[in-house]
Amino acid sequence: MPEAALELRGLTKHFGASVTVGPIDLIVRQGEFVTLLGPSGCGKTTTLNMIGGFVTPDAGGIHLAGSPVETLPPWRRDLGIVFQDYALFPHRTVAENIGFGLRMRRVGRAEIARRVYEAMQLVRLDGLGDRRPGQLSGGQRQRVALARALVIRPSLLLLDEPLSNLDLKLREEMRIEISTLQRRLGIAALFVTHDQEEALTMSDRIAVMRGGRIEQLGSAREIYEAPASAFVAGFIGSTNLIRGSVIAPRQPGGTVRVDTGAGPAMIPIVGDLPDGGAVLLMIRPERLKLASPGAAPEGTNAWSAQVVRTIYLGGRMEVRLRLRDGGTAIAYAVNEGETDWDEGEMVDAWFRPRDAWVIPGPAEDSDAQATNCLR
Amino acid sequence: MSRKILWSVVALIYAFMLAPILITAAVSFNAVERSYFPPRGFSLHWWSMAMTPQWTGPFLFSLKLAALSAVATAVLGLPLALALRWPSFRGRGTLQALTLGPLVLPSLVTGIALLQFLTLAGVGNWIGLPALVIGHVVICLPFMVRTLSISLDSIPINAEIAAASLGASRLRVLIEVTLPLARSGGGAGMIFAFISSFDDVNLALFVARPGQTPLTVQIMQFLEYGFSPTLAALSIISLLVPLALVALFGRLVGIGNFIYQDHGHA
Repeated sequence: MPEAALELRGLTKHFGASVTVGPIDLIVRQGEFVTLLGPSGCGKTTTLNMIGGFVTPDAGGIHLAGSPVETLPPWRRDLGIVFQDYALFPHRTVAENIGFGLRMRRVGRAEIARRVYEAMQLVRLDGLGDRRPGQLSGGQRQRVALARALVIRPSLLLLDEPLSNLDLKLREEMRIEISTLQRRLGIAALFVTHDQEEALTMSDRIAVMRGGRIEQLGSAREIYEAPASAFVAGFIGSTNLIRGSVIAPRQPGGTVRVDTGAGPAMIPIVGDLPDGGAVLLMIRPERLKLASPGAAPEGTNAWSAQVVRTIYLGGRMEVRLRLRDGGTAIAYAVNEGETDWDEGEMVDAWFRPRDAWVIPGPAEDSDAQATNCLR
Repeated sequence: MSRKILWSVVALIYAFMLAPILITAAVSFNAVERSYFPPRGFSLHWWSMAMTPQWTGPFLFSLKLAALSAVATAVLGLPLALALRWPSFRGRGTLQALTLGPLVLPSLVTGIALLQFLTLAGVGNWIGLPALVIGHVVICLPFMVRTLSISLDSIPINAEIAAASLGASRLRVLIEVTLPLARSGGGAGMIFAFISSFDDVNLALFVARPGQTPLTVQIMQFLEYGFSPTLAALSIISLLVPLALVALFGRLVGIGNFIYQDHGHA
């Protein structure tokens, strides 16, 4: 097995007495696209800066392609970095910008010209080599920055919120373009963003960060469907989080009963759930279905609820429900032109056992607002 | 209508600025040894008088002094501006105050202080060109550091970091990114230093010596005996030659944006 493109071991940085980033352990495999996702201030940019060599870690190791780099200055780390503000050299042409890293590596002039030309074709900038960054559009600047980072064939591509300065449509295009390029070149990439949609669409694996640590590391599907904490569940997508407690008995391989204020639920066992322990029951709005009272399918969990509001969203309806204990929940109903749920109507909100996910532990105070959160 | 008013105001301002120069130019062509306006007769006599060694010596000396001062100011100002930019630099506040301090000091006072200091320090023989350069650097340094700092501040935040990540050592980053982007500020600072050195009389009065006298001081001394149209011719020469030099330099360095309006580097 080849060495990992990047390995972080216990990487830690203290800011004063109270703020700490890390310890962070993370492996980015060859050719893999890993995203650090989190709200601002979660430590993702600090982590990136430590890898880049712009912030000195207080503890821990950074290995790039198998060799330790934590004592190397930035210019010896062989990284391609794309910055949020692109950081192009305004006094140099597009071609000079892209060729900069090669020139620093003392590559011959003809070779530089050839590779710059290739890189410009790669990012679809043909013919713009003589322009200056000031004459380019935002998307073009983004491509120059990308080409400049890729042309040196770095062992790792670091992307620091590269899309946040683009407008929505361009952002969606660049998302696909960057990940297509990354796959085609087979280059390992570490991507930093606070945008969950970017993370979901681009990444092989996502590391959700919070308070300076990685809260969960997994594929987009794992993060979305099996979040490790209420924070992760609430940060990605909309979700219903309902407090409950585990009721004995439970059999191995069987199901467990969770009692909530909205009603009981039977769900498959995942991991170790302490009997009687407090848990959060997560049901994504698209998995929460509605039926007339008593009409929920056999073998599902059905809770009686009242429709508070329905919001027409074109392809789907967002239905806001009041549960038995007064809590709220959201259900997305596909707009099939058949059913309309009237406000005030009593319904059965139902979900299959496997559509619920149990997050162990009681809700932390800071998660209180994430309970039944409406994002 | 409002356009007409605007243009009239502009024309008035220009007339106010240029009329004295035009009058001076006209006076230099008098045929008699009096500064009449309008001039009486036409003669190039005063122009040929202005070209004699009595005047060309100090004129060339002034040009040399101004050029040396401009270069020395840049050489000293650059490290200063770079140091003031360093965020973790401890003496930053103090250094900034010291750098910008001479701005509020009349150059007359600086001249007296410099004369006394050089005498007391036992280097009285520096009076002349070395003392003049030192004095002019002291006067011009605050402007140089300001213009350089403005240029340095306009560098995209991550451009230097990006250069480092692409394999440029600190020195290479300085040469490849920082300095080229600080060029317009440095150029503006040098032009300013050149002009104020060329124009200075207050400080030069104290630290010039015979044989190493700038044109301004020479004119002052000549004025004690009266005014002749020679001075008018001299004024025009000492206006046009530095102007031409500055224009040439500005073209080479690309200063226009800095002085008139900074389009910024996007």
